[in-house]
Amino acid sequence: MAAINHPLGGIGRPLGVPVRGLRINWGLIAALAFLLFAALLPVLQNSFVTSQGFDIQASQRQQARLRAEISLLEADVARLTSQARIERRAQEIGMVRASDPIYVTVQEPGPAPAKLPAEYLPAPEPKPAPAEPWWKSLLSWRPW
Amino acid sequence: MTIQKARPTRRVWLPAVFLGLFGALLAARLVQLQVLQHDTYAAQARSELLGSSTVYARRGAILDRNGGVLAVSVDTWDVYLNTRAWRQPADRARVIEKVAAITRIPKAAIEARLAAADAVEVRIAIDLDYELGLQLIDADLPGVVLLPNTARIHPEGDLAAAVLGFTGVDNTGLAGIEDRYNDLLQGRAGKAVYERDTLGDPIPYGQYIATEPVPGDDLILTIDRYLQRLAEDTLAAAVKEHRASGGTIIVMDPYTGDIYALATLPSVRYSTLEADLEASTEQKSAFKNIAVTDTYEPGSVMKVVTAAAAIDAGVVTPETTYVDNGVVDVEGVRLKNWDDGVYGTQTMTGVLQHSINSGAVFMQQKLGTRLFQSYLEAFGFGKPTGIDLPGEAAGFFRRPEDPGYSPVDVATQSFGQSISVTPIQMMQAIAACINGGNLVTPRVVKGRIRPDGTRIDLQPTIVRRVISPAASDAVRRMLGEVVAQDPDGWGRNPVHYTAGGKSGTANIPVWGTYTDDQQIVSFMGFAPLEQPRLLVLVRLDQNRNLLTGTQAAGPIFARFVDEALRYLGVPPEKGTGSVAR
Repeated sequence: MAAINHPLGGIGRPLGVPVRGLRINWGLIAALAFLLFAALLPVLQNSFVTSQGFDIQASQRQQARLRAEISLLEADVARLTSQARIERRAQEIGMVRASDPIYVTVQEPGPAPAKLPAEYLPAPEPKPAPAEPWWKSLLSWRPW
Repeated sequence: MTIQKARPTRRVWLPAVFLGLFGALLAARLVQLQVLQHDTYAAQARSELLGSSTVYARRGAILDRNGGVLAVSVDTWDVYLNTRAWRQPADRARVIEKVAAITRIPKAAIEARLAAADAVEVRIAIDLDYELGLQLIDADLPGVVLLPNTARIHPEGDLAAAVLGFTGVDNTGLAGIEDRYNDLLQGRAGKAVYERDTLGDPIPYGQYIATEPVPGDDLILTIDRYLQRLAEDTLAAAVKEHRASGGTIIVMDPYTGDIYALATLPSVRYSTLEADLEASTEQKSAFKNIAVTDTYEPGSVMKVVTAAAAIDAGVVTPETTYVDNGVVDVEGVRLKNWDDGVYGTQTMTGVLQHSINSGAVFMQQKLGTRLFQSYLEAFGFGKPTGIDLPGEAAGFFRRPEDPGYSPVDVATQSFGQSISVTPIQMMQAIAACINGGNLVTPRVVKGRIRPDGTRIDLQPTIVRRVISPAASDAVRRMLGEVVAQDPDGWGRNPVHYTAGGKSGTANIPVWGTYTDDQQIVSFMGFAPLEQPRLLVLVRLDQNRNLLTGTQAAGPIFARFVDEALRYLGVPPEKGTGSVAR
């Protein structure tokens, strides 16, 4: 068995097998890398789209939640400004219904009417087009 | 040496034929399934894989003329329990206990619903509060499914319920404005499509396609919530005071047809809606608004229309006189005055002041049957007014070409018998008498706001000119004389404002004859006299104290007008000590 681990007699050095220099084939590597990338690309894209889809769904859920909260808040405002609630609150703080009001005519203008939210007001009139500047008329001026 | 060729025997070719046929059948079946019926099976597979649900659009709000909210929708949840999701009895008990704690539905009630249902998914709550639903979602309980829904709330309570109407469980309008404008209010529902697991629940990362719901438009009514409340309170008190079976108060702008208030009794109420619906009959239906769906004989209020027609046609003036003998003979039928009184020589103004039936017949006979009835048609009788509320009745009056017609019919039509009208028709006709002669279409919606915030205002509709402005002026002043006279002191004259009006008392026909113990009394008035802001109808049905229209409805009109015009900021025209300078 020892013969296996030792060179044969008369052969003092390893056989002179010609060994070419180890050259990296960059083209092959690039091709492999490209193939790998091409194979992974759909996976990456799919993963990205799925992730984005999940984010969108989460955003939609949040949007729906916020919309619902807005509608709840609007309903709360409506409840708090209802006539029955205002009357109840007025009675709680000791106010009574006016019986025979006295009308006073004064020369001062009255208070401005309560403002409504803009969405309940008629659309504003469109602004008139600005007048032409004075110097433009000079362009058509002729001395004759 | 010859090789003997093996000849196929029956044992060989028979199985071969069977196998061949079997293969051919298999191939044919495959072609059928995969080619010919491809679309069908593909759709079936998709339906197994994909689930979809409706995403309700938010229903538009209903606002009063000043932006006060009368009806608005809020998000809610419908809660279902999927009994297949629980593998162990302990799971079931745990889920039910948790659901009961969050939804505040008793555990026993949930158990009862589960036991009573055959389906795998059982609905245990409709319109659960949004925030409670979020708690359920956060609890992440197996087998608990929440579907979004919306619920209608009415911040003003039962106010204007007969006008607004109500919606069903599917958020579709069933009565009133909710029904008439359902297409605008309900918007367009969206749709969610998703991949689902074996339990039918959406897969978190599954395909999800949502069609966004489009919210409905908000409606702006002509109703003023303060005047509506005043009208409802006034009517309720009046019905109680006069022991009436019901009544109506309508408040309208005579120039535009804008209904400021419309109160009726009986009326649907949100607080008792389910009971009202169960107790609904044809006569007393929760779906009806009796101001537009029910007809009545208007009685002497119709004399205003007769006078307006006669003055416009030039056959009489307010000062034209005639002699009242207390009775008028028409084709052998003696028509008497309401009080059997004899008033002697009277002007046409006096006819209205004393409500003399023979005077109304006098004007009608001056006009002639054809011309008088053409005025009735021009004033809108016999046809719906076109008000934007569902179920409007047309009313009826008999014409010469109708079967059973008698000349007595047209004579009695002049003082409001033999003619059926709706309260809203009467409002429309009297408005034309006092607004310069224009027949305007009554309306309860004056505009809408689209989801993008754009406001669309609807313009009032003038149907036609019925009488001349001069005739209208004359009638208005005559009606002012009626109210100013107030000889019996019942108080039909407002304290702080000038006004005009006319009362009506009509016995209810029962089996073709009139009875004295069942009547409808009304007062139609307006104020201020020169430039009317409000036209008001007060009507009481079957008042058991049997007071007349002047006595019962007149004072209600006067008090209402004083309060309503003060609210509208109209400076008082009279009344001691009420104005300081």
